[in-house]
Amino acid sequence: MPVVDVDPDELRYLTGHDEKDDDELKSDLFDLGLEFEGWTEDDEFQLEFAPDRLDRLSVEGVARSLRYHYGDDRGVEVPNTNSADWTIEVEDQPDERPYVTGAIVRGLDMDEAALESLIQLQEKLHATMGRKRAKGAIGVHDLTMLKGDSATGETGKSITYTSADPDEATFVPLDADAEMTPSEVMASHETGQTYGDLVADFDRVPAIYDAIGLFSFPPVINGRRTEVSVDSRDLFIEMTGTDQWTIDHMCNIVCYALAARGGQVERVDVSYADDAPGEYAGKTLERPDFSVRTKTVTHDRIESILGVSLDSREVIDYAERAGLDATETESDAGVAYEVEVPPYRVDVIHPLDIIDDIGRALGFNSLEPTYPDVSTVGGRHERSRLEDAARDALVGLGFEDLLNFHMINEVENFERMGLPVPGTDEQAADAVGLADPITIQEPYSEDYTILRTWALPSIMMVLESNTHRSYPQDLAEIGLAAGLDDSENTGVAEHRTVAAALARTDASYEDAKARLQALADAFDKDLETPPTTHPSFIDGRAAEVVLDGESVGVIGEIHPKVLVEHDLELPVAAFEFRLDALE
Amino acid sequence: MKRPQAQVAVLQAADAQEDRRIDDVAAEADLKPEAATRAAFELEADGLLAVSEETLEHYELTEEGDRYVRESLPEQDLYEAAIDAGAADAPVQMGQVIGASGLEGGAVDIALSNYARKAYGDIDSGEITANADADPGSDPEMLALEAVADGRVEDADADALDQLARRGLVDLREETVRSIQLTDDGVTALMEGVEAAETVDQLTPELLTSGEWEDVAFTEYNVEADAEDVSHGKEHILRQTANRVKDTLVGMGFSEMEGPHADAQFWINDCLFMPQDHPARTHWDQFALEEPEEIGHLPPDLVERVRSAHKEGVGPDGEGYHSPWTEDIARGMDLRGHTTSLSMRYLSGHQVGELDPPERYFSVEKVYRNDTLDPTHLLEFFQIEGWVMAEDLSVRDLMGTFTEFYEQFGITDLEFKPHYNPYTEPSFELFGTHPETGEVVEVGNSGIFRDEVLTPLGVDCDVMAWGLSLERLLMLMYGFEDIRDVHGTLCDLELLRETEVMR
Repeated sequence: MPVVDVDPDELRYLTGHDEKDDDELKSDLFDLGLEFEGWTEDDEFQLEFAPDRLDRLSVEGVARSLRYHYGDDRGVEVPNTNSADWTIEVEDQPDERPYVTGAIVRGLDMDEAALESLIQLQEKLHATMGRKRAKGAIGVHDLTMLKGDSATGETGKSITYTSADPDEATFVPLDADAEMTPSEVMASHETGQTYGDLVADFDRVPAIYDAIGLFSFPPVINGRRTEVSVDSRDLFIEMTGTDQWTIDHMCNIVCYALAARGGQVERVDVSYADDAPGEYAGKTLERPDFSVRTKTVTHDRIESILGVSLDSREVIDYAERAGLDATETESDAGVAYEVEVPPYRVDVIHPLDIIDDIGRALGFNSLEPTYPDVSTVGGRHERSRLEDAARDALVGLGFEDLLNFHMINEVENFERMGLPVPGTDEQAADAVGLADPITIQEPYSEDYTILRTWALPSIMMVLESNTHRSYPQDLAEIGLAAGLDDSENTGVAEHRTVAAALARTDASYEDAKARLQALADAFDKDLETPPTTHPSFIDGRAAEVVLDGESVGVIGEIHPKVLVEHDLELPVAAFEFRLDALE
Repeated sequence: MKRPQAQVAVLQAADAQEDRRIDDVAAEADLKPEAATRAAFELEADGLLAVSEETLEHYELTEEGDRYVRESLPEQDLYEAAIDAGAADAPVQMGQVIGASGLEGGAVDIALSNYARKAYGDIDSGEITANADADPGSDPEMLALEAVADGRVEDADADALDQLARRGLVDLREETVRSIQLTDDGVTALMEGVEAAETVDQLTPELLTSGEWEDVAFTEYNVEADAEDVSHGKEHILRQTANRVKDTLVGMGFSEMEGPHADAQFWINDCLFMPQDHPARTHWDQFALEEPEEIGHLPPDLVERVRSAHKEGVGPDGEGYHSPWTEDIARGMDLRGHTTSLSMRYLSGHQVGELDPPERYFSVEKVYRNDTLDPTHLLEFFQIEGWVMAEDLSVRDLMGTFTEFYEQFGITDLEFKPHYNPYTEPSFELFGTHPETGEVVEVGNSGIFRDEVLTPLGVDCDVMAWGLSLERLLMLMYGFEDIRDVHGTLCDLELLRETEVMR
């Protein structure tokens, strides 16, 4: 879940509620779904919240939500914007990163706190909507350091989003004091090393030029020339990415935050060349796009989801308290509302999301719980009933029931049991446990790389880690085992397996068979145990488990080499078979 | 009156006039002293005997004392050798005297220190003299030692006894001596006649079949004594917890689901309206499979409807996501990160056929998350998953259902904190009050499935769902601090053995 650091003094300043003490603020924030996790080193609130309201990734957004919560603001607010003076020309930009957006914000008077908040917002948007900059990356520049080409007329100025040869273009990146090429940045600049992978495969890398030259290498790093400081009054914001909607909305969130700091937003034309890659070739977009989306919500649906009766004045009131505007209208389904959604709300993608907002404004916890008046007949799944019956029988026979992980590694599952790696030994090919395993992609623990093909290895591991505990250790487990199987739709044959082991100074084949026999009898199954060989068991003391004529498992005395391998100093007799044989 | 053999013997040996020691009674009745003592107490409990106790002190020879009394004291040996060497007349070299005395090792020091103390002579500058007037033959310590050995402690000199105790030659012991005397009831009983009943330790088949059991008395056991530990079979505590949950849900009308652990991302994520570029869908959060890499078959109509929900949204005002969506990714195989994949399969009609409302389903099954192993997180854990399908469900119905469920586990005062999940709206994190500690703790996540989930599945009524980890419930109920102790191959058998059963 996203975490945002918020200075409580800033919050008091931006909400205009100087009288709120820290505890009151925390409690109000909790009501909004922002949980206080602790203090930062700089005495800021660390707030955690669910990743829907990404407009709250900065103190300005949190303050806006609080003002609605307090009733200081109501309904949709859209900042004024001035008409466009600057253009972003888009031509020859990389196919892999075809989209760009932008905005200008003027007249800012930023202090350290405001600048830090902007940097934090940028980072948090990168981490969330921007998918670690892959989907969208933000560059903020000091406008006064940009020299626009005259593009669209006498007064118009422009910059260009295009591509560059990574080995030829040069600029001085942030946190550096020499000219570097994009390739050099990716190889040796700290930020370049972190984000270089995003464009490493590109023939030509994303690049933004003004009349002076290259000033940004998105999504990796900006140039030092246009670096923003507390003295910067006018900002140029650009965002590049793989989805226009995503970067446009990231831009809206940033512009709303800066407008809350007193900035005047000025639109920018984004002009895609006729042959530019992507969906917008030949089009000019005016950004930021502060248009308000409208969704229709029926009164019935609001009442049925919330389970309460409301009149339309209440609905409209709750909507406005949530920062939405609602107007009553008629639809096929009776009374409905046209609800306007402000441009920073990236989470509202369906009328249900508006009902949720209305519910939050109303206060869900004020609703009285009711038990739904619908009757159904419950029951256990037959597989789980069978499993329970078998487990009860094993416990009755004195076994301690175990619960082990289904994931294991090849060494434990095969090698330490004396089994060959699957496919390497034809003779052992049909031995119990010797299925081709389900393997996990790029596992980051060496202990868990496959799904177990049988359960005795897990039991042996439990015996191994409990040699200091008293004996006898009669252990059993009924659980999942799996192997590759082309005939299954998933490619995986999953089955429940019954495994049991007797570890005691005088454990013998007969002890194991006596218990297996009792189990077979309990389920009215005919047990036969024809001799077999299995690498995990002593030759001459191993048998197939044949239930009602079908070979379903193995029983025997565990081979000394397997015992020694598991640091055991006493014999173990064991059996394992498929649970479905007891059906 | 029939009494056990031992009681009869003790009763008969007891006297109404004077105390008799139980040891004497035992010897006379040919009983072990313990058996006679037990019989005496039993008779006392019935009012037939009075048992009195007194504590006696007595001296016993130590091993060293015993050796001296049979031989002689070391200082006596030294004196004898000194006299023989003429030390009564003139000082003699000590080495010579000691050599002649036959004393060795520690006995030399013992002899020398007591020699001077008892004025047998002087030891000075390596020479020894003997006092001709001394009389080791009537050494009071030796006489006292002999008195103790002969059981005539009363004859021994008190100072000499103290000295012997200090020298470690005698021990002072305390002994409790019990004596018995017949009470009036005991006399009466004897006069009326007391017979010995046959007593048996073990009830045997022969006794039962022959009918002899009617004439025997059973030896009384010390029923308060500890018995030996017995190992026993026991269902795993998490299984017990799971069954408790299953019982509760079945009682509330829920049916159990069943389905694959390894499944396509389609069922695990795409049906749940999780965008394909969602951060939780990277292999760092869930286990993607190398083999098998993808599922064989997905229902094409459903795939198209799910794709459309992601890309275009559902309904006239639905927007969908601005994220890429490909069937290739949907076909990829994972270990399920939640059992909601089962809910999707069931709701789609592809698992058990089309479902009509109302329905209630649940599962308590394993899920897999590529998380860091720590005391509260495992790579595999059990998820409790449940959902209710009905016309016009409201959040109040959701609240009522979950309030009912959690109260079964003592978790009360449920609070519903509005939350966000990609697949439910409204969504709530559930908080409840812990039955023992009174803390407010998170107990689950819930919500009403979005239209973008239900419409592609062909469900046109409401479905509310919730999930919770079984381990979390167990930890709340039992206060386990490290879940690794009970789940997995590192489990501690002792802990499993000692854990109380779930009720």
